[in-house]
Amino acid sequence: MSEFFSMGGYGRYLWPAFVLGFGIVVLNLVLALNSLAAAKQEARRRMEMSQ
Amino acid sequence: MATWTWFHRLASPPHVYAFARRWTPWFGGFAGVAMLVALYGGLVLAPADYQQKDAFRMVYVHAPTAWLSLMIYTTMAVAAAVGLIWRMKVAHAAAAACAPIGAWFTVAALGTGMLWGKPMWGAYWVWDPRLTAELVLLFLYFGYMGLRAGIEDPVKADKASAMLAVVGVVNVPIIKFSVEWWNSLHQTATVMQLGKPKMDGDMLWPLLLMFVGFALYFITVLLIRLRAELLRRERNASWIREVVA
Repeated sequence: MSEFFSMGGYGRYLWPAFVLGFGIVVLNLVLALNSLAAAKQEARRRMEMSQ
Repeated sequence: MATWTWFHRLASPPHVYAFARRWTPWFGGFAGVAMLVALYGGLVLAPADYQQKDAFRMVYVHAPTAWLSLMIYTTMAVAAAVGLIWRMKVAHAAAAACAPIGAWFTVAALGTGMLWGKPMWGAYWVWDPRLTAELVLLFLYFGYMGLRAGIEDPVKADKASAMLAVVGVVNVPIIKFSVEWWNSLHQTATVMQLGKPKMDGDMLWPLLLMFVGFALYFITVLLIRLRAELLRRERNASWIREVVA
């Protein structure tokens, strides 16, 4: 297992790269969902104000 | 006739919103599965490279993020051009939705590239044509978003930012072919080339699957952001009432 994580001595570069890349994958999904939730909330608020 | 019906539907915000809502979970689900299988294939099943050893596995995160940074810009420029030519609001909304995703993936491409560059070239950063052009791409995304944010009138913001997006697309082939046009530390294309890819099949399939996963993921996030854009732009339309009620 430790051999897998060491990646032939390149683990100190390889794993941060994967964390960065896939961290941005997760972050973008969260940011997009937050943006949609905020837009929906804003639309609901406008609807309530117009009634 | 059917093509025109489809094109007209594409211009209709409620239709696009409903389409996005229906298909997002499907694209997202397939993207997640493809990425996980590709990760297992790339990190566990693929053999080490004879030259770069295990450091070559960087390709499974660096190449898809770099490819996505270019594909998203191209998508944004095409959407912006469609918005300019046919005055299609949905196209401008799609272009605006692309920009933050593209900027993040350019950051990912630059960051993962730096982490690959250090053990291979001995430096995190060199002013190489490929790296410099990718950095220019990041500034183009920032310029596009800054321009949109700086213009209050949405119609003017759409037009001005669309022109910037269309003009900036010239940078995409510069990035792609920079490794062939100039002397570059960066390796030349191994997959996206005419003829047979230079990679062994055991290394290639996880990379191709990762490309598919990232493409599906981009569609997923784009559809979510597009829905948010449409809700903000169409705030006074009657269909909004039905979808948020």
